[in-house]
Amino acid sequence: MNQTEAFPGSIANVNLRQVGKNKPRNDAPTKVHGKAIYAGDFYMEDMLFAKVLHSDRASANIRNVDISAARALRGVHSVLTAADLTACNAVMTDLPGQTGGGTKDTTQPILAADRVRFHGEPIALIAAESYELAQQALDLIVVDYEDTEGVYDPFDSQKPGAAIVYSDDNIVADYKIRKGDIEKGFDEADYVLQNTFTSQYQEQAFMEPEAAVAWVDEHEILNIRSSTQVVEHFRAVANALGIPHNRVHLQAPYIGGGFGGKEVMTIEVWLALLAMDTKRPVKLIQTRENSFLSHGPRHPFTITHKTGVTKDGKVTAMKIKLTSDAGAYAKLSPYILLYATVGATGPYRVDNLWVDATSAATNNLPACAFRGFGTMQANTACEAQMEEIAKLIGMDSLELRRKNFIQPGDPNTTGQIIRSSVWCDQCATQALAALGEQPSNSEHLVYGHGIACYQQSYGRIRWMKDTSESWVGLEMDGTAIVRCAVTDIGAGQMSALAQITGEILGVPMDEITVYFGDGHVNPLAGTSTASRALYMSGKATELAARAVRDNLLQCMARHFEVSPDELDLADSTVFVLDNPERRMSIKDMVKLCAAEGVHRHNLSIFKAPPSEGLDPETGQGEVFPDFTYGAHAAQVSVDIDTGEVTVIKSVGAHDVGQAINLRAVEGQIEGSALMGQGFALSEELILEKGVLKNGSFSEYLIPTSEDVPEIQSIVLESRSGLGPFGSKGIGEPVFAPVAASIANAVADAIGTRIHDLPLTPEKVLRAINENKASR
Amino acid sequence: MLPPFDLSQPQSLADALQALAGKGDTRPLAGATNLVPDLRGKRETCRDFVSLDGVNELRYIKRDGDRVTLGARTTMADILDDSGIRTDAPALYAAAEIFAGRMVRTAATIGGNVCCGSPSADTVPALLTVDAEVTLSSVSGQRTVALDEFYIDYKKSVLRSDELLTSVSWNVPPQNSANLFYKLARRKGDAITVTGVAVMIAAEDGVCTRARIALGSVAPTVFRASAAEDLLAGKALDEAIIEQAARAAADQCAPIDDIRASADYRLQTAFSLTRRLLTQAWKQVS
Amino acid sequence: MSNEKVVTVTVNGSTVKLATPAHRTLLEALRHEGFVEIKCGCEKGDCGACAVLLDGEPVDSCLTLAWHADGREVTTIKGIGQPGNADPLQKAFIETGAAQCGYCTPGMIIAARSLLKDNPDPSLADVKRGLSGNLCRCTGYTRIFEAVQLAARELRGEGEAA
Repeated sequence: MNQTEAFPGSIANVNLRQVGKNKPRNDAPTKVHGKAIYAGDFYMEDMLFAKVLHSDRASANIRNVDISAARALRGVHSVLTAADLTACNAVMTDLPGQTGGGTKDTTQPILAADRVRFHGEPIALIAAESYELAQQALDLIVVDYEDTEGVYDPFDSQKPGAAIVYSDDNIVADYKIRKGDIEKGFDEADYVLQNTFTSQYQEQAFMEPEAAVAWVDEHEILNIRSSTQVVEHFRAVANALGIPHNRVHLQAPYIGGGFGGKEVMTIEVWLALLAMDTKRPVKLIQTRENSFLSHGPRHPFTITHKTGVTKDGKVTAMKIKLTSDAGAYAKLSPYILLYATVGATGPYRVDNLWVDATSAATNNLPACAFRGFGTMQANTACEAQMEEIAKLIGMDSLELRRKNFIQPGDPNTTGQIIRSSVWCDQCATQALAALGEQPSNSEHLVYGHGIACYQQSYGRIRWMKDTSESWVGLEMDGTAIVRCAVTDIGAGQMSALAQITGEILGVPMDEITVYFGDGHVNPLAGTSTASRALYMSGKATELAARAVRDNLLQCMARHFEVSPDELDLADSTVFVLDNPERRMSIKDMVKLCAAEGVHRHNLSIFKAPPSEGLDPETGQGEVFPDFTYGAHAAQVSVDIDTGEVTVIKSVGAHDVGQAINLRAVEGQIEGSALMGQGFALSEELILEKGVLKNGSFSEYLIPTSEDVPEIQSIVLESRSGLGPFGSKGIGEPVFAPVAASIANAVADAIGTRIHDLPLTPEKVLRAINENKASR
Repeated sequence: MLPPFDLSQPQSLADALQALAGKGDTRPLAGATNLVPDLRGKRETCRDFVSLDGVNELRYIKRDGDRVTLGARTTMADILDDSGIRTDAPALYAAAEIFAGRMVRTAATIGGNVCCGSPSADTVPALLTVDAEVTLSSVSGQRTVALDEFYIDYKKSVLRSDELLTSVSWNVPPQNSANLFYKLARRKGDAITVTGVAVMIAAEDGVCTRARIALGSVAPTVFRASAAEDLLAGKALDEAIIEQAARAAADQCAPIDDIRASADYRLQTAFSLTRRLLTQAWKQVS
Repeated sequence: MSNEKVVTVTVNGSTVKLATPAHRTLLEALRHEGFVEIKCGCEKGDCGACAVLLDGEPVDSCLTLAWHADGREVTTIKGIGQPGNADPLQKAFIETGAAQCGYCTPGMIIAARSLLKDNPDPSLADVKRGLSGNLCRCTGYTRIFEAVQLAARELRGEGEAA
């Protein structure tokens, strides 16, 4: 559904010919025919196969690693441990490819030396003639561990005397916001409500486990073809190996899903070491079990909300404490905590605000980037709190939200003035309406409706001074080429660039070739993370395509004896706008322009708006380029005998600015609906003393086809975004409200709130029973 | 990647039984949908298998009067493809329908599901409610054992190492009967059962003539709640007696805490699901 | 233990000889031969990425021993249809946007192909049940259901996919 007329301020797709339309993606044919080649599908002559020895415990000293038998095994070409990494045994896990940074220690040992800090920490790398030989060698390695006392709770780890995992105090990061007058705010309130919400580890569960092949080529260039969201990791690999940046060539083929799990470097540096050591190509495909240990899952958060509100529903003050479990290494925890801090108040304006946020290290799995990146956890807690406030003061919860939505021109949590449209109200209203009537309760089933709104940034933190580059050119036969090293992680990153280019140059999508994912052949686009790929690489491509168009139309204006703005390009022709009979094929146009020496290609750079960081005392400053707003609504049934929750209908309504490919937008909304449902109901990594107990797809339960509700997408277009054609980032935003809406629907159904996710049947049944008992 | 093992591939039942005879640690391998993950996960230590893949004579569904017999190699897909199982053993059909995913249903066999001995094996509660018997064959002969007496303890049964479970059979339920199965899991598709309940209620003239209740995942083995069954037999059922029977069934459970659910939750749901299925079944037959 | 044996498998119509020990899965053996269109997601029958048709029936190739494929026919996604001669399912997956990252797609189409063979007119519930052994993390399955039903309509002659 593409609604643009229901609300004032929305603009229909009046002038667009390709953008916003339902175009089959240009990566679809190769994928449905089984021709798309993923990182683990490459074979090379003479290739070796790698295995990684991961620690089987979370906290121990390593007395000795005996690799003698493994090394002696015939067919084993390399066994590396920390002892072999004498020059450098550290890899940077800070936000990749950036000039900024500024957190504490964000390096991580490539291989554990004298201590393991988490279950799965890599200890040894093996390359052998076959996987079986590598596995045999791995089984021959003897690690002499001395178990040490660990710490497995981020509150315990901050206490005096706690085992130290990170730095000298286990504090990975902290932020605070001090805004307005918090005491005055609570004084003005008629009601004050305090709740604590907790959320769990969530695994990205991309279908393609980490995979890569590395080799040193005939020019002594280290090549890595890897399933990564970030080709800019070539710099971190080069730094870790002590070789120049221009000697590492990292390329990403089609990626079998990332969701943030392939943002920080995973297996690339291991393969680089093995390829350098053996002088042969080396391939590694992680098993699913090891994949669970090879990237950081979503951070568990504990969030306490104290909210002051007047009897007519105006929030007067919020005091929020956020604590995340960083696990054993920093990875991106500081940034994720920052996102949670900025997003702590959801899409609401709160003038009297106090936020304390801490990320503490433990011996649990190091958590890292995952779609939603802290904002989602903070928003889920905030939207539960809003629902509880509405209940407390006896107000319709959407009405309460309406009284508090942030508006364009308002300052947000960090004092940044919101510039783009805020259509939370429209989105929530439409989403709720789409749910329809609630069925009446039956013998075993009770029904509930839930709504949640959100504010989620797109684009990277502004003091990172993010840029993206793209090259667009027209060939002599009228076809077009885009060169842009954006990684295609499955959301249509590459296809969108063709659609944007086609719109501007008047060339059909199937006559546009996009070279992507290879940063040494194509201009660097930056990462496919932070809902920035379309925004940044799309904008760079738009700029490049417009430059080509301008050049060519200048030339054609002379030919047609009109001004350039009297010309347009569409359907592979150039024509005079008010006299379309005067036209020429793009092919002939390119020839004509080429003969006149006109540039028919362009390399453009797009720079995101920069800023200089936050005031450390008040937490005020500009953090993000812009935000996406919207809502999700869910209807659930709950079986009161078993606690089973069934999502019946799931509706996402979002102001996406401008859909580039409507079908791809809806695909993001639908995928989010189910991933958020998993987070709300069934997905949870279970750790016992830091050891992962359910690291497989039979015990870690992502939703299956049988779990799918009726999903509806409502796409609104304010064209107020910073991306191409006014688009906003959507990959993370459309996910941000889903779990909250389902949790709210469950609370509505059973009449009581469960404060810790996920809402497993067992927890739901307990809540039902407790609620019954307390009546 | 699997650990190295030996595999013989007999093409007849006689050869398969011969291959199992006289060797200590040789085990049959049928659909391998459990064995492969167990081998890979280092939970299975056996390294010598007899493949039943070629023993096609064990893949059949036969009817003889009221008697239905499934060859042990009958797959879940075979059960679903057969036109009669839906009425001959409705709970079994229901269990086969939600058995793992489509590809696993093509490979997984009834004999394998029974023999794996897992308390969460979904076909077993269903089979117990129709009083199924299993035939155990060896080179020295064969014996028939009530499925109810097949399991001894967690993943332990009366099956000798030289024996092969060759068939599962039962009598078609009486005319006026209801045979239901409910699988409670942490998600709807393809998940390991947290609590599984199957019931069979037959009635004549407003009186329950036969009651069977079997529970999965709530004890070291799947079992029949015999005390509860005894409470129902010969009575006209009502809310009170059903509640009493469900309580008796729950009392017979001996669940454990694991990563899927607590023992307490399993007890509660064993009770409420037994009550629910009995109520539904009674409604159908009265 | 575990001597190698040469098994002969017909893959998408071509004869392939695989020298493998007993403990090699069909997934490992075929990918080693270059049939990398068969994806590997979990190696234990949970995700369905490795699904192929074995004598026309869908199996997880990660749970199938290569020896058990001896003398039999394997169909991978490339045997379902080729560009220019695409199967209605493949066309429908393109048309509806049912492929995002694409990693689950080969196995998903194999499962759907077998579903439609058994049931040419599946209800939405039938489609959901038929695909419950194939995990997808990107799409929320909704477009996949649409694609399967679109292809089913075309196969029944009730309309055309794309």
